[in-house]
Amino acid sequence: MAIATEELTGGITKVTLDGRLDIEGAAAVDTQMHLIAASRKAVLVDLQKVSFLGSVGLRALVIPARDIKGRGGKMVLFAPSEMVEKVLKTSGADTLVPVHHELKAALAALQES
Amino acid sequence: MMANEVDQTQDRLELRSRLSDMAQLPAWIEGLATRHGIPANVQFAIDLCLEEALSNVIRHGYAGMDDRSVSVRFTMPGSGYFKFVIEDQAPRFNPLDSPEQPAMSPDEENRIGGQGIRFLRHFADALEYEATPTGNRLSIGFSAAKPTRLPEA
Repeated sequence: MAIATEELTGGITKVTLDGRLDIEGAAAVDTQMHLIAASRKAVLVDLQKVSFLGSVGLRALVIPARDIKGRGGKMVLFAPSEMVEKVLKTSGADTLVPVHHELKAALAALQES
Repeated sequence: MMANEVDQTQDRLELRSRLSDMAQLPAWIEGLATRHGIPANVQFAIDLCLEEALSNVIRHGYAGMDDRSVSVRFTMPGSGYFKFVIEDQAPRFNPLDSPEQPAMSPDEENRIGGQGIRFLRHFADALEYEATPTGNRLSIGFSAAKPTRLPEA
């Protein structure tokens, strides 16, 4: 699991995850996700290249999202695959972290915050 | 073969009771998917359910004892039907008796986790538990015939 960050205009941080967000993948990105959650207020997590999401991986998304929200910010998820989205919906995580498939809408949601 | 390498031609996987051993799981499932034509969405569901079930055995069943074993056996009882039988020697525990935690919701932001049994029930097509003389046997079945749909919004 690889993680890359990019600063976009409007104070938005884009986090690109690449690989399997399983137990091993979650451990690989956990520290950086926590650092991002502690320092950024508008975060777009690009899930296009995430091929698997399990419950430990889910925590690596939901806990930072909750922390960012707690600091008055917002995190959104962008472009998960059909099965990754099914995990998000089955768990109810999509009610805590909004899921967008259009980049424009995802960025607009962050700019509103 | 190195200890951590996986023999993808085997229909049985034996893991030690440590989470690091679960790194063998994706390659083993990938090998089965290639050999038996398991569709990608079903492969994802298998991956998810086995991760949940095995990590539960290792974390809760064996509760920190890292010198035990847990095995997974793959069978194809019928065309397009894929069955995985997980056997352990942990204290008896039927995960199917566990209450399903509600889905996460904005009203209860602090309740994160406990989704394991929910995932098993939503992503598998058949679940069966049996206590064995020495532990537990959980069978998880997946059908390629049933289309995987997103849950209703």
